Amino acid sequence: MKIKLSAILIYLLISPSAWAQSSLSIQFDYAEKLFNEKQYFDSITEFKRLLFIDSDGQYSYRANLIIGKCYKEGAKFDDAIKYFSFAAKNSNAPEENFEARTQIIRTNILRRTTDRALQLCDELDTDPAFVDKKDEINYWRGWAYIFADDWKNASLVFGRIDPNHELKILAEKTEKAKVSVTFAKVISYILPGAGAIYCGNFLSGLMSAGWNLLAGYWTMNSFAENRAFDGIVVGELVWLRFYRGAIQNAEEFAVEKNLKISNQSLRYLQNEYKGIKP
Amino acid sequence: MTIDTKILLRIFLIIALISASQAIYCQSNQGENIFSPENRLKFGNYLYKEKDYLRALPELKEYLKTKTDDTTQFRFADCFFRLNRFSEAEYNFRTLFSSPTLADESRLKFFESLFFDNDYAALREYSERNSYSDFKYSNEVNRLKYISFFFDDSILPKENEMLNAFPDSVRPQILNYYLLKKFPPAKSVATAAILSAIIPGAGKIYTGEIGDGITAFAATALSAYLAYSNFHNDHQFRGWLFTGLTAFFYGGNIYGSAASAQIYNVRMKFDFQKSVKLFFEERNYFLPEINF
Repeated sequence: MKIKLSAILIYLLISPSAWAQSSLSIQFDYAEKLFNEKQYFDSITEFKRLLFIDSDGQYSYRANLIIGKCYKEGAKFDDAIKYFSFAAKNSNAPEENFEARTQIIRTNILRRTTDRALQLCDELDTDPAFVDKKDEINYWRGWAYIFADDWKNASLVFGRIDPNHELKILAEKTEKAKVSVTFAKVISYILPGAGAIYCGNFLSGLMSAGWNLLAGYWTMNSFAENRAFDGIVVGELVWLRFYRGAIQNAEEFAVEKNLKISNQSLRYLQNEYKGIKP
Repeated sequence: MTIDTKILLRIFLIIALISASQAIYCQSNQGENIFSPENRLKFGNYLYKEKDYLRALPELKEYLKTKTDDTTQFRFADCFFRLNRFSEAEYNFRTLFSSPTLADESRLKFFESLFFDNDYAALREYSERNSYSDFKYSNEVNRLKYISFFFDDSILPKENEMLNAFPDSVRPQILNYYLLKKFPPAKSVATAAILSAIIPGAGKIYTGEIGDGITAFAATALSAYLAYSNFHNDHQFRGWLFTGLTAFFYGGNIYGSAASAQIYNVRMKFDFQKSVKLFFEERNYFLPEINF
């Protein structure tokens, strides 16, 4: 008898709160389902509805975090950061706080606000609550450098996680493959066309060297034959034009080649890299 | 039944009553249908205040399917307005013209929608109709009508008419804009071309491109001199080469001067409109803030 009574009592005490709980959790599940189905607009609406009815703030962290993720998926980075910040503010555990703050860093990386991403990484780094998260912080710091096209620093940072880290090797390879824009220009000053050849544009480099040689010959020949006016005109309008063109070309080729190398690595990261991405 | 059992039963009854009341409370708050029209309205209003107009729209729309409410209808129309969907805003504000509480505000927002939709012709036409012109915000609408003249090529109204619509403090600036609009300091394309035909580079100087004008003059004069000099020294080939070059510079300069005048006029119009827009934007087009 006493056992039965106790059971009924417990049920009556728990049931109302459980009912209310289920109402919110149903809404949460519905909104989350929309998120999983990639219906981000509707998912945001339903999470906002959940936040509206969740007067106790039970779902504040999770709802705000997923709203942020939805905005991030839609490339609305400012809104995403706003909601990740709400999530961080409403986090109940250091783990949750870390998740929200790394999401802010990841969004800043995508938004190309690298300085802010690095600043946030430093803040996390100095936070005593996350001393065991150094590797993860460095991971996102490395990504911030990658998106800033700073492969050298990216390689250094990934190296702190693991000297054989896949991304360290990739960043190192990318940095090595790049050409020096200054060097390409300088050698073009000395020998027109050399910069283009250095960047792998052999035909263009040889053509440039040939034109310079020819224009140089015309100019010198004019002066040698006491045709000073012809010498000045050819030197000014033809030779100087080719000479400057060779330097400009060298710079353009170097920048273009570096861009191609960076894009190749980024394409690999986008399509083939299996790890977590911003 | 023992005494213990009796006490237990009493406690059970008390707790059952408390639990029942809690259940009713939960039912009425957390447990109710969050998609009911009333809750959609509450949520829609919350989104509206959060300035998430895109999401507020369907919530308010669902509510309006079940009930007629002028405030909600106004907010619904205002969401379109704030999303720059002016045609839909116009349509929805129009439905409130006979509202006992929001008719004036709706008319004002209707005119604002026409204005920001760049439908200046309709704005002027409606604002001059008797049925549209006599209301609380008719002065504001009148001002909008006059402002619209700065943004299209319509014939300007009389100076006094326009100035009287604005406060004294801004009249000198409005007069300045009025005069600039009426008598724009444009450069004549034909004059620029003719000047350059007479003296190479003069057309460019006329359009304000002094450096270009001097360079054009120097280049044409130098090549003409070289042509003359070569012919004079019996260098036929070089003579003709520089003659061609001179003709090229001369013709190019005439064309360039005409183009320069056109560019000047376009730039001047663009700068004028930018300046006028900034001036009125800073003053919110002299419109009152309507907040709900």
